[in-house]
Amino acid sequence: MNIANFPWLTTIILFPIAASLLLPVIPDKEGKTVRWYSLIVGLIDFALIVYAFYTGYDFSNPDLQLVESYPWVPQLGLNWSVGADGLSMPLIILTGFITTLAILAAWPVTFKPKLFYFLILAMYGGQIAVFAVQDMLLFFLVWELELVPIYFLLSIWGGKRRQYAATKFILYTAGGSLFILLSALTMGFYGDTVTFDMRSLALKDFALNFQLALYAGFLIAYAVKLPIIPLHTWLPDAHGEATAPVHMLLAGILLKMGGYALIRMNAQMLPDAHAYFAPVLVVLGVVNIIYAALTSFAQRNLKRKIAYSSISHMGFVMIGIASFTDLGLSGAVLQMVSHGLIGASLFFLVGATYDRTHTLMLDEMGGVAKRMPKIFAMFTTCSMASLALPGMSGFVAELMVFVGFATSDAYSSTFKVIVVFLMAVGVILTPIYLLSMLREIFYGEENKELVSHQALIDAEPREVFIIACLLIPIIGIGFYPKLLTQMYDATTVQLTARLRDSVPTLAQQKDETVKVSLSAPEIAN
Amino acid sequence: MDFANIASQLNAGTILPEGIVILTLLGVLIVDLILGRTSARWIGYLAIAGLFASIVALYFQWDAPNPIGFTGSFNSDDLSIVFRGIIALSAIATILMSIRYVEQSGTALAEFIAILLSATLGGMFLSGASELVMIFISLETLSISSYLLTGYTKRDPRSNEAALKYLLIGASSTAVFLYGVSLLYGLSGGQTELSAIANGIATAKVGQSLGLVIALVFAIAGIGFKISAAPFHQWTPDVYEGAPTPVIAFLSVGSKAAGFALAIRLLTTAFPLVAEEWRFVFTALAVLSMILGNVVALAQTSMKRMLAYSSIAQAGFVMIGLIAGTQAGYASMIFYLLVYLFMNLCGFTCIILFSLRTGTDQIAEYSGLYQKDPLLTLALSISLLSLGGIPPLAGFFGKIYLFWAGWQAGLYWLVLLGLVTSVVSIYYYIRVVKMMVVKEPHEMSDAVKNYPQVRWDLPGLRPLQVGLVVTLIATSIAGILSNPLFTLANNSISNTPILQATINSNVKAQNLLPLPKLDSVSQSQPSVDSTAKI
Repeated sequence: MNIANFPWLTTIILFPIAASLLLPVIPDKEGKTVRWYSLIVGLIDFALIVYAFYTGYDFSNPDLQLVESYPWVPQLGLNWSVGADGLSMPLIILTGFITTLAILAAWPVTFKPKLFYFLILAMYGGQIAVFAVQDMLLFFLVWELELVPIYFLLSIWGGKRRQYAATKFILYTAGGSLFILLSALTMGFYGDTVTFDMRSLALKDFALNFQLALYAGFLIAYAVKLPIIPLHTWLPDAHGEATAPVHMLLAGILLKMGGYALIRMNAQMLPDAHAYFAPVLVVLGVVNIIYAALTSFAQRNLKRKIAYSSISHMGFVMIGIASFTDLGLSGAVLQMVSHGLIGASLFFLVGATYDRTHTLMLDEMGGVAKRMPKIFAMFTTCSMASLALPGMSGFVAELMVFVGFATSDAYSSTFKVIVVFLMAVGVILTPIYLLSMLREIFYGEENKELVSHQALIDAEPREVFIIACLLIPIIGIGFYPKLLTQMYDATTVQLTARLRDSVPTLAQQKDETVKVSLSAPEIAN
Repeated sequence: MDFANIASQLNAGTILPEGIVILTLLGVLIVDLILGRTSARWIGYLAIAGLFASIVALYFQWDAPNPIGFTGSFNSDDLSIVFRGIIALSAIATILMSIRYVEQSGTALAEFIAILLSATLGGMFLSGASELVMIFISLETLSISSYLLTGYTKRDPRSNEAALKYLLIGASSTAVFLYGVSLLYGLSGGQTELSAIANGIATAKVGQSLGLVIALVFAIAGIGFKISAAPFHQWTPDVYEGAPTPVIAFLSVGSKAAGFALAIRLLTTAFPLVAEEWRFVFTALAVLSMILGNVVALAQTSMKRMLAYSSIAQAGFVMIGLIAGTQAGYASMIFYLLVYLFMNLCGFTCIILFSLRTGTDQIAEYSGLYQKDPLLTLALSISLLSLGGIPPLAGFFGKIYLFWAGWQAGLYWLVLLGLVTSVVSIYYYIRVVKMMVVKEPHEMSDAVKNYPQVRWDLPGLRPLQVGLVVTLIATSIAGILSNPLFTLANNSISNTPILQATINSNVKAQNLLPLPKLDSVSQSQPSVDSTAKI
């Protein structure tokens, strides 16, 4: 078979799902065969992803590549159509990477291992599908598809209040996603032809009020996922109850779906409405950064603390999307990838710490650094990455958003000054709560009973390996961000150009917030 | 005039599938009479073979050049064929699951099957009936058999109570329906055939008179009772709780499908003058059914009652397609009923199996079932998730097609309500799944703790297992491989002349709406053009 025409993305999506269906018939002794099987499936799929992009993807081409399209249900206009461009590609790689590591992180899972790995592998394919599909109805389908695996992963293997958290998660997400269906149907039926293909939809010329309504619908759906305050309340519960591997998926990949879809649908398909909604996104982004950081302060539960810090970091994504500059949008994508890596590593370490201390309450910890020096070192490094220490990917991403927004010519300078100031406050808040968290866990007043407990062993090689895998790209991107940005820049530059095109037309409609003076110098990338 | 001539005039071949069912029914009775109880082992298979033969006969009637039989009383068009197929299939599944159940309840199987077959017969005739007397007789055949089935476990007081309730409410609703039909007869100047009624009313120039509206409302009351749409649903929870479980499996699918077949045929053919009015009434019914069904189901503790409210809600979803009144609308109804057949019967098979093994229907008793019976847990989970519309199961595609068609027809608020209530429904469906899968061993209910060893070799359990596995597979893959079902549903609509006429008039009516995109959408579908042949 011709290598160029091989259905790479379909294979990548369906392979783990097909492999998961074989799990129930695999002979299993104490869950060992199953976990090796899953790990190997994960690695093969990740290798497939890398190989497919290495051979079939041209970084300088901003358009969709590796495109496949087959009719599925012609009566509905539903096509199985997948493809990848600069927005999907980094996130697909991230998904393969994080999910494979999550399987490795799930090594100690001994309770119902077959069901666990079945769900994880099903998630694997489903998550990649979200980033790869190019048909709106299909997008809705795969978006809903990952609800049930996550529901069970949360409610069977989580903490004490896991069932409440899982139910809240599924109702929030299902409730939000009905807006995707409504907006998709509206877009599909608009105009002369019924189509749900994303590229054809992007070419449809929607009336402005129509675009605004669609944009609002999508925004609600993705605000639940990203999450955007005030639709975030499922997240601290879900993240507070999940086990480490599930957590890595939730923080590393599921949150990115919201950001990805926001760029893919809201910005790419509805550019005119984006010009109106961009200031709203900026304000919500700032609220996310500040509010979540302040809330994180008050949390005494380790997982909830990190969960709020995730929300805070996703605020940068929104501001980047709304910046109307190449640098800002590029920073938003980079922030998603970077937070995927950092969030996954932090949550993994929280899980590792919990496995030893058996508590998540900061008050009950303290002084464990002596007994667990490796975990302490790794935790500190990952916290540094999270608080955007220069030389780590978080710093680059946040800086790019900062500069991108500050140099944006779409906003008045007063607005920019206020927003940049508030963002800076958020950036200062992050080290405060993260460092105080580190102090409370590892230093501080020793909890005698805990420190002397024999279960308090240091990190095993598997854990060090996982963190090393995550830290290498974090530091690599931190030192040489172009490594990643050059892979997707072509797409984001093209998208920014399109977004900027739609702004001057609005300027004539005397909108106060969107002031346009395109005479400002272009930001080179 | 010789016999062959009469037969060709009556076009008696149109009721060949029903004829086969009648022969099977007689065969079951005679065999039971001659052989007595010894026949119980295979009499079920005899009935199933007969029903399969009937389905085969239906298959050969597809696209028959002359579907009208008995000078207009019976119309064996593709629409009726699909509905008759659904009813026959639901009867087959019901027999599969009832063999063991009826044995265990200590009653005679042959009589049960005979009554079930006569209910099937009523439903199948109702699907094709296009004449008022015919409609009434087949409706009564279906109803009276259903009352008998409901009270079939004579020694169970709840079954008796359910049968009495069903009978009383059913009889009064039939009376109301009959009154509405009689008004129709009078208004049309003494016509009983549906298309003649429409012409009769049009020529009598009564227009949208009060009498016509009353006839419409009364007819809808009768239909609403059959499809258990709120506010005609009061019998549903009680009957579902008291009646033998295989019976409600049939009532929830077969009887409901017959009701929808009647609704489509009667409303589109006899009431074209008051199309706006009946759409309005059905919108109200759909809104009430979706809200009431889904909200009340949240509070149920009995599995059967929960499924009763769920079936009310599902009827509400299906009505969206009826109200849309487009090609896609009717097709989505049929598609949804097809997948509903599989997923609902799969669910009921699981419930029967569980109650056979533990003797209870309480939701709380399902807790921890995963450890004891993985197959049952899997099947019930899949069917409930499918009912809740979770992809990639069949129910998701059914719902999305209904909402798709509704949105295309401009029923924005109705679709929005449907979506919101189906999110609500996820909560109560997944609650049961959570009970079974998530609970840890120490949280197991007493019923599950004492769960007997899973055995399939007891008499009557094999057919149940076959039914379970077949419906489970259909529910799982009918969504992914849904193309044949979509094609079937669409063809059955586009090959049915009576519907093409209404679809065409709808398209014209929609031209008046300030939604320019809609008519272009409808016209882009080739099926609309096929009305030219009428």
